[in-house]
Amino acid sequence: MTYQRDLGLPFQTLDEETIVVDPRTREVHLLNDTAARIWELLAAAQSVDELTRALGEEYEAPADELRAGVEELLAGLGGKGLLAAAGTR
Amino acid sequence: MAAPPTEAGPRCSDDALVGVGDHAVVSRIQSQAYARMVPLNVSLELTLKCNIRCLHCYNFDRDGDGPASCSGGAGAPAPELSLEEIFRVLSELRAAGTLFLSLTGGEVLSSPHLFPVLDRALELNLAVQLLSNGTLLRPGVAARLAGYRNLLGVSISLYGATPEVHDSVTQIRGSWRRTMDGAARLKAQGVAVRLKLIVMRPNVHEVAAMRALADAAGYPYLLDLTVTARHDGTRGSLALRITDDELAALYRGSLRDLLPRGDRVVDEAAFPCNCARGNCAISARGDVFPCVSVPWAAGNVRAQPFGEIWRRSPVFQRIRGLEIADYPACAPCPDKAFCSRDRGAAYNASGSYTGTDPFVCAAAGVARTVAEEDARGAAAGASHVDVRLPLAVAGAR
Repeated sequence: MTYQRDLGLPFQTLDEETIVVDPRTREVHLLNDTAARIWELLAAAQSVDELTRALGEEYEAPADELRAGVEELLAGLGGKGLLAAAGTR
Repeated sequence: MAAPPTEAGPRCSDDALVGVGDHAVVSRIQSQAYARMVPLNVSLELTLKCNIRCLHCYNFDRDGDGPASCSGGAGAPAPELSLEEIFRVLSELRAAGTLFLSLTGGEVLSSPHLFPVLDRALELNLAVQLLSNGTLLRPGVAARLAGYRNLLGVSISLYGATPEVHDSVTQIRGSWRRTMDGAARLKAQGVAVRLKLIVMRPNVHEVAAMRALADAAGYPYLLDLTVTARHDGTRGSLALRITDDELAALYRGSLRDLLPRGDRVVDEAAFPCNCARGNCAISARGDVFPCVSVPWAAGNVRAQPFGEIWRRSPVFQRIRGLEIADYPACAPCPDKAFCSRDRGAAYNASGSYTGTDPFVCAAAGVARTVAEEDARGAAAGASHVDVRLPLAVAGAR
């Protein structure tokens, strides 16, 4: 399964945080630097494995921790309606 | 990450965001942008053309020969920015840190560039709001706008509770009906709509009715009591300003709930507005202003990249360095806590960013007088009046 952010959502990065605005729900979300990096990667469809691998090259953390973090973030983003429909590859 | 400043930079109504303006996260990032001087909010004037002829228009005298000197200084007026130039500017804004883009005019819906610009803003992940008179929001247009995932909403100006009064200001018969219909179409499509109620002599007797109309239709609104001199230097619009007596009557009557209490602390941190810090504007001809109401050109995007103007312009550097003491009339003024300190009004009235507008000064005095009357009444056992908002910014709901 792959994931991609909703490409139409406005966002900007300020002070290492990324602000994501959802005009439809009138909600505004703040992503910390790691989440912001995943948000950036989600410009293209990515699997959990691919995201975990990409983060592993940039952050010094055990792979299982990174994977759990990726899964948690994807669930959070999906729950807030910030992801496009999941795809398959 | 450094802790955000504890005090948000005061913001004017010109850049108040439709839909998400009151969101706590937005308030926080506005404070960060203010402190870091990131142009988070930019107003972009797509055109000076308009399909109505408002008596109070701040661009230029719509009954005159045209916008000869508007936003451009002396000499022959430059052409409006081309679509290609606007696209380049949008990319520069994105790179400089802009998130919130306000598209305005003239009448923004009369610009042939509007939808291509919305498409490009969508690609650049910019959040967009439109400032419009609403008359061109035909069913197909409203539906098309509703399809933009990045559209925060539309601010629609209203000048009366009745067609007679509103149309007398726009000088176009039927404009009130078209404005109200356009707002309703957007709302029906799920687009956030906010009304901007501009109070002036022709509609001062309808203020309560305008507020009731907005409430009944479920629209949040901003109230603005300050008609300014025009950017072309003409001052005919000033005849539309309400008088001190009318303002006092409003504060004693239909605007009692919006009377400034005077309990704001106006210190060095709170006095500056968001001009040239978290906010700026770009005119239809490419001039970069500290805000849409202050036509003090810091540079032109045809001559310099936006980011260079934002960082290095002497005008912006000057504004960022101002202290209360640099405002000679404001520094000692006892009415500061009651004052909206409208930079646009001050600049257009006096020609100086640190100058004053007698109307705004008088309004602060009126507010103080009425507030003190209320305080004395309260002390004597009269009913309590809820007084909380400054003169020119009055969001409902």
